[in-house]
Amino acid sequence: MDLWQLLLTLALAGSNDAFSGSEDSSGKPKFTKCRSPELETFSCHWTDEVHHGLKHPGSVQLFYIRRSTQEWTQEWKECPDYVSAGENSCYFNSSYTSIWIPYCIKLTSNGGTVDQKCFSVEEIVQPDPPIGLNWTLLNISLTGIHADIQVRWEPPPNADVQKGWIVLEYELQYKEVNETQWKMMDPVLSTSVPVYSLRLDKEYEVRVRSRQRNSEKYGEFSEMLYVALPQMSPYACEEDFQLPWFLIIIFGLFGLMIILFVIVFSKQQRIKMLILPPVPVPKIKGIDPDLLKEGKLEEVNTILAIHDNYKPEFYNDDSWVEFIELDIDDPDEKAEGSDTDRLLSNDHHKSLNILGAKDDDSGRTSCYEPDILETDFNASDMCDGTSEFAQPQRLKGEADLVCLDQKNQNNPPYSDASPATQQPSVVLAEEIKPRPCLVGTESTHQAAHSQLSNPSSLANIDFYAQVSDITPAGSVVLSPGQKNKAGISQCDGHPEVVSLCQANFIMDNAYFCEADAKKCIAVAPHIEIGSHVEPSFNQEDIYITAESLTTTAGRSGTAERAPDSEMPVPDYTSIHIVQCPQGLILNATALPLPNKEFLSSCGYVSTDQLNKLMP
Amino acid sequence: MDSKGSPLKGGSLLLLLLLLVSNLLLCKSVASLPICPGGAVNCQVSLRDLFDRAVILSHYIHNLSSEMFNEFDKRYAQGRGFITKAINSCHTSSLSTPEDKEQAQQIHHEDLLNLVLRVLRSWNDPLYHLVTEVRGMQEAPDAILSRAIEIEEQNKRLLEGMEKIVGQVHPGIRENEVYSVWSGLPSLQMADEDSRLFAFYNLLHCLRRDSHKIDNYLKLLKCRIVYDSNC
Repeated sequence: MDLWQLLLTLALAGSNDAFSGSEDSSGKPKFTKCRSPELETFSCHWTDEVHHGLKHPGSVQLFYIRRSTQEWTQEWKECPDYVSAGENSCYFNSSYTSIWIPYCIKLTSNGGTVDQKCFSVEEIVQPDPPIGLNWTLLNISLTGIHADIQVRWEPPPNADVQKGWIVLEYELQYKEVNETQWKMMDPVLSTSVPVYSLRLDKEYEVRVRSRQRNSEKYGEFSEMLYVALPQMSPYACEEDFQLPWFLIIIFGLFGLMIILFVIVFSKQQRIKMLILPPVPVPKIKGIDPDLLKEGKLEEVNTILAIHDNYKPEFYNDDSWVEFIELDIDDPDEKAEGSDTDRLLSNDHHKSLNILGAKDDDSGRTSCYEPDILETDFNASDMCDGTSEFAQPQRLKGEADLVCLDQKNQNNPPYSDASPATQQPSVVLAEEIKPRPCLVGTESTHQAAHSQLSNPSSLANIDFYAQVSDITPAGSVVLSPGQKNKAGISQCDGHPEVVSLCQANFIMDNAYFCEADAKKCIAVAPHIEIGSHVEPSFNQEDIYITAESLTTTAGRSGTAERAPDSEMPVPDYTSIHIVQCPQGLILNATALPLPNKEFLSSCGYVSTDQLNKLMP
Repeated sequence: MDSKGSPLKGGSLLLLLLLLVSNLLLCKSVASLPICPGGAVNCQVSLRDLFDRAVILSHYIHNLSSEMFNEFDKRYAQGRGFITKAINSCHTSSLSTPEDKEQAQQIHHEDLLNLVLRVLRSWNDPLYHLVTEVRGMQEAPDAILSRAIEIEEQNKRLLEGMEKIVGQVHPGIRENEVYSVWSGLPSLQMADEDSRLFAFYNLLHCLRRDSHKIDNYLKLLKCRIVYDSNC
């Protein structure tokens, strides 16, 4: 069977060759194309035969047949027009053309069919090129480099577009004169199209071709249209300047780096401050906390001397620490070595006063007692420091009144101590402000020193009064004084005291040292007044006002009110302002009294008293 | 008698003449006939929209059918020589449609519209079966199937649009639904692969041809009716 098939194919091939003609196969005419330009006529072209053989050129004929009404029964008809379409062509005019009807044509040469083709006319539509190309200038860009033009043309004349028999679409191509690549635009249905962005100094070529819509094959190109744009104006901008982005970026970065370096190296500290703001640690300007912790007292004093408010005269030494560390629970101990004694005895040994009295009775100064600093200096903020001081002091039975924080509430327990015990554990608020206290104390020392003939007699006398309570307004309630101050001993049983007290009371100090008040009151009926006063001090009155004391003192009796320079001044001064970092500011009062005595009797010193004290 | 008869005769003759002339004038140009009965303005405007839409649809259908045919030709018909054999008649050949421009210009637009409707109706059935059969083909090509589905859909829409147009242009007269019956279903379902493919090829070829015909007719009608032969 295989052999049969092989033979059959060979025979077929041979017959094909024979069928195609006796001439050399290379010379056979073939259909090149059949084309209908407007869907009304069509024409077919074929190649000319090549004469290879010796035979005469055979007459080539074209026969066609068109199927009509479901039959192929018609005869082959010969081409009606061999001339109109040129050589080797056959032209079918509109009477021979039927659309949507299949045609078959065959080419014969010397009677033998050389080629055959079947088609429908609507499949071979290739319109003629458009005609009448022209262009108009639309506009010129602002830079004067580019321009837009509008290209118009007419559809091919033989295409009946107006009646809608054929619908054409067009494709425009353009290029610069000396270029090789054509730029193509998308097909358009209209007969005019804008071309954008042509350069003014170049010449362009434009051509258009058309095709039937939905077909694939384009017709021929139209004639070339030369577009010569007006010359660029001499004032036109330069060639499109492309910003050298790369260079700009590089230089920008470079500049930024330089600026950064300059900033960093010139203002190092500030930059550091900006970048790493320092965490505020407690410290005082000019005072090195480390030094204060570890340094010698003299060194510390030197450092602190830099401080404005430092007043060396009011140096207070270690005895202050001891002084503060009174133990309320053990009066006997106190009696043995009262701080007052120590204070009074030791004060002159010290040369430096670490803590000068401040002009204002701010508690700030009190924080910087040397011993306190040495022992427990860990607060930059004065109030905090003082409050911290209050802690140990409270523990030891004493209260810190300087900053008037609520911790002072602890004082009440101490107030319960009977005055009779004469506990030296009374702590005046000013104690924690060593300066005023110191001031007072020092003067007190000096005064008291003279006054005190027998320190031991004053063993139980304290410069301090315990604060029992703090009023919301800032007033300090002192507990009933246990002891008279050293310098107050004069008060005992002296009517002068009363007068002194009176005079003192008259001063605008709202506070009085309890001891003063006590002593003033004690001048008169001692016990009575004491009992009077105590409850009034202890219990209800939050304020110990001058008036109250005065009245009480007044009750005790009247006496001369001649102010005596020797008389102790009230121990208390009204608290004017409570400012935490600055402590208490006591009411400044114009005190006619000399400062020292005033201060000696009272643990509190008013602001202007201090001012008077200090040069 | 003659004197009496002659005026009558003359009068009747004149009347006849008048009628003839008027008829001739009326028949002179199809385009001069008013399209919208009553000459309502709304009618004109909507006709334009309807025709625009119809032309768009017919153009779209022809595009799809061309692509579908090309796709099929590329996949299945290469080397089979279908093209030489494929000049089979389409089932719509029985409808006497104009075959060139002169004939199309001579036919009355109402008749042409009706013809279009007939052709469109004739394709309802074949398109439906085409979709079904293409789905059943082995390795059903998605390109062909999707297009077939789309053509079927659009054909229905075009039919509706054309019926609307006809209703506007020629209201009142509703012709019987005439269309060519398609009987090519058995050949689409033949067992023989070759024959079946040939049947498909033929159907697609006919579809492309008819869609082109309809597209052309509608464009012609649009230019004639809406734009007064001045597209």
